[in-house]
Amino acid sequence: AVIDSGEKRHVRNPKERGPVKCFFFFSSFLPADIISTVEFNYSGELLATGDKGGRVVIFQREQESKNRPHSRGEYNVYSTFQSHEPEFDYLKSLEIEEKINKIRWLPQQNAAHFLLSTNDKTIKLWKISERDKRAEGYNLKDEDGRLRDPFRITSLRVPVLMPMDLMVEASPRRIFANAHTYHINSISVNSDHETYLSADDLRINLWHLEITDRSFNIVDIKPANMEELTEVITAAECHPHQCNVFVYSSSKGTIRLCDMRAAALCDRHTKFFEEPEDPSSRSFFSEIISSISDVKFSHSGRYMMTRDYLSVKVWDLNMENRPVETYQVHEYLRSKLCSLYENDCIFDKFECCWNGSDGAIMTGSYNNFFRMFDRNSRRDITLEASRESSKPRAMLKPRKVCTGGKRKKDEISVDSLDFNKKILHTAWHPKENVIAVAATNNLYIFQDKIN
Amino acid sequence: MYSSSRPDSSLLYRDFQCSQLVIFTGVNSGYMLGKGAKRKHEENEDELEGAAPAPASGEPADGPSKASYTLQRQTIFNMSLMKLYSQRAPADASLERRVLINNMLRRIQDELKQEGALRPLLLPASSPPEDPADEGFREAQPAFAVPAAPDSCLTPASLLEDDTSLFCTSPPPHGPPRPAPQAAKDSFSSALDEIEELCPATATTSPSDGTPSAPLSTEAQSKDKNGSQRPGGSASPAEERTSAADPAPPNGLDMSPSAPPSSSPSSSSGFLTDLALDDILFADIDTSMYDFDPCTSGAGAGPPKVAPVVTADDLVKTLSPYSGGSPSSGPSQPFKMDLAELDHIMEVLVGS
Repeated sequence: AVIDSGEKRHVRNPKERGPVKCFFFFSSFLPADIISTVEFNYSGELLATGDKGGRVVIFQREQESKNRPHSRGEYNVYSTFQSHEPEFDYLKSLEIEEKINKIRWLPQQNAAHFLLSTNDKTIKLWKISERDKRAEGYNLKDEDGRLRDPFRITSLRVPVLMPMDLMVEASPRRIFANAHTYHINSISVNSDHETYLSADDLRINLWHLEITDRSFNIVDIKPANMEELTEVITAAECHPHQCNVFVYSSSKGTIRLCDMRAAALCDRHTKFFEEPEDPSSRSFFSEIISSISDVKFSHSGRYMMTRDYLSVKVWDLNMENRPVETYQVHEYLRSKLCSLYENDCIFDKFECCWNGSDGAIMTGSYNNFFRMFDRNSRRDITLEASRESSKPRAMLKPRKVCTGGKRKKDEISVDSLDFNKKILHTAWHPKENVIAVAATNNLYIFQDKIN
Repeated sequence: MYSSSRPDSSLLYRDFQCSQLVIFTGVNSGYMLGKGAKRKHEENEDELEGAAPAPASGEPADGPSKASYTLQRQTIFNMSLMKLYSQRAPADASLERRVLINNMLRRIQDELKQEGALRPLLLPASSPPEDPADEGFREAQPAFAVPAAPDSCLTPASLLEDDTSLFCTSPPPHGPPRPAPQAAKDSFSSALDEIEELCPATATTSPSDGTPSAPLSTEAQSKDKNGSQRPGGSASPAEERTSAADPAPPNGLDMSPSAPPSSSPSSSSGFLTDLALDDILFADIDTSMYDFDPCTSGAGAGPPKVAPVVTADDLVKTLSPYSGGSPSSGPSQPFKMDLAELDHIMEVLVGS
């Protein structure tokens, strides 16, 4: 297999970081941007963020040490690199944004970490590795790296590995390009750890991680006549255990589950999930708010969760005609849909995530609010990610939106919500109660309090 | 495969605390995310939000509720047109968003077609159009306020009720029509073409290929449409506005360079052909929002038809509540509009 030459970029010395200084460190160094994706790796040790400027920043959890028992394993910057650059498509006279749409980690197989990051058109496989030793005592070159004059070499020696300051390097190992005409909205690593899928508005491709010059198209919903296009793919994900199963959601609020064993082209679904429309709540905007912005399998693989504009739904894969659970995220917006349509907020794509045990789900809302739902107790909570209310170690106070009538103290009325402050991206640690919440260009990490 | 690490029954009663805040600061942190500003309570929006279409029973709703539904529908329709055809950076053009807006336009147009199917251009003043039985929309919420003064004809809702002759349910023929010319070099000529077509706009139903218009067209199609004389170019001012005002738009949904230019003329006129239409159709649009004057006698060639003369008066009458001033006398109006029309066209062309 052809391996791209390793290109070191943005090497960062982890020792420069410090948990307390993280804040100041960033503000002085990185001309950063709006966070566009957040993802924990399989162990939760690493947290990757992608932003609108094409950068990826990876945080690593500090090992809990006996010296600092109260330091609950904070996340520090581990590596930063420029994943994608803006490009220009000359054929179509269109600029290709460098914004990172999705990051997905690969399961760890050796000392290095691998992740896939994608913008609208190109997916890249990055290898993040540590280097803490270097060889000294070369024969043909001296310590500066300059070549030694061969005539000066009078003896041979064996280079010795000497410890050095830890360096974290990120290098692009594969570049998967030119396979998507439309904008990529999802990537998902398959459970076989060899393949992954990438989905754009109309097509889904299956790749092999080792092969970059071709991919296999498994779903194509592009109509022969583009004028008949009424539905697009909005998200796709591989099943966590069954490597032949994947799902994709559409802008009409439907989810299709496909089995790759059934046919080469999975245009015909194996299962079709759609909840019948409630006629009493029908409006002009019914279709738009039914558009699914995110779909996520549960860790168990038994359920999947979909996020549409106003709600989160949990589906049992064995039941196609309706979800088993529906959670209202911000039902108070239903009467504001016209305004939200006018300012385009109705097209915001919120993501959702499961906690490690599948007992709780989380999703974002406006005004920097995010919501958590406990599936067992059916309780829910609204929290806010804001600098004012989030001093380090401060407890998060539940928030409440007043939907009408008299506004109680500490409640916020619907009309005072700031629709510019939206939390689209959240992530939950796979094992612990640690959550990462992206609010515009701020990343909040909340941890469960321990006594 | 996955094992639970701790019981979650009291998950939500655990106190989450903020352990870290990482601020990504930089030059772009002031980036305008969207147009959603902090919203203030606005009466108009409440009225629109609460506008009630006919009840689910399918019976024709009472006057105010029906009018408000119609008003809301028209507002949404106009908004959708604006969204698809206003000047935007191509990067903003998400295919999903365009498809959803387009579906909205198509749905509204279908509804209007159904309502207007039995009537030609002018409606009898008596019966308000009935809602299709399957449109189960919400009831009016109390927030909606019917204008108080019964003799006042200045409010949109009452105007719609009183002047049903203007209330032509057919919308602008081409909801999201042929998108504006793709190539900059064509924009001028195509804009002129469209202006010309606006004026000879007649009530003729142009031959249609029968296909309900393809609202979406490809880049190649737009190129084709540039030169072709659209049949029955129903002089829609919105058409002129949308196409001329958008020389380098995020147009066609198909970003593929290999998109076949399928049946472009027919598709472009699909919206146009089914409905006899005229400037009158735009009478109920709140033109103050868009700040353009519909073409009446037009700046281009073509003899002014009979309709335009009527239209001018009607438009004037309609426009008065929106602009807030009473119009000047009839005869001078067309001239005024001509100049304003020319100004608008020039502005658009230069601005593009």
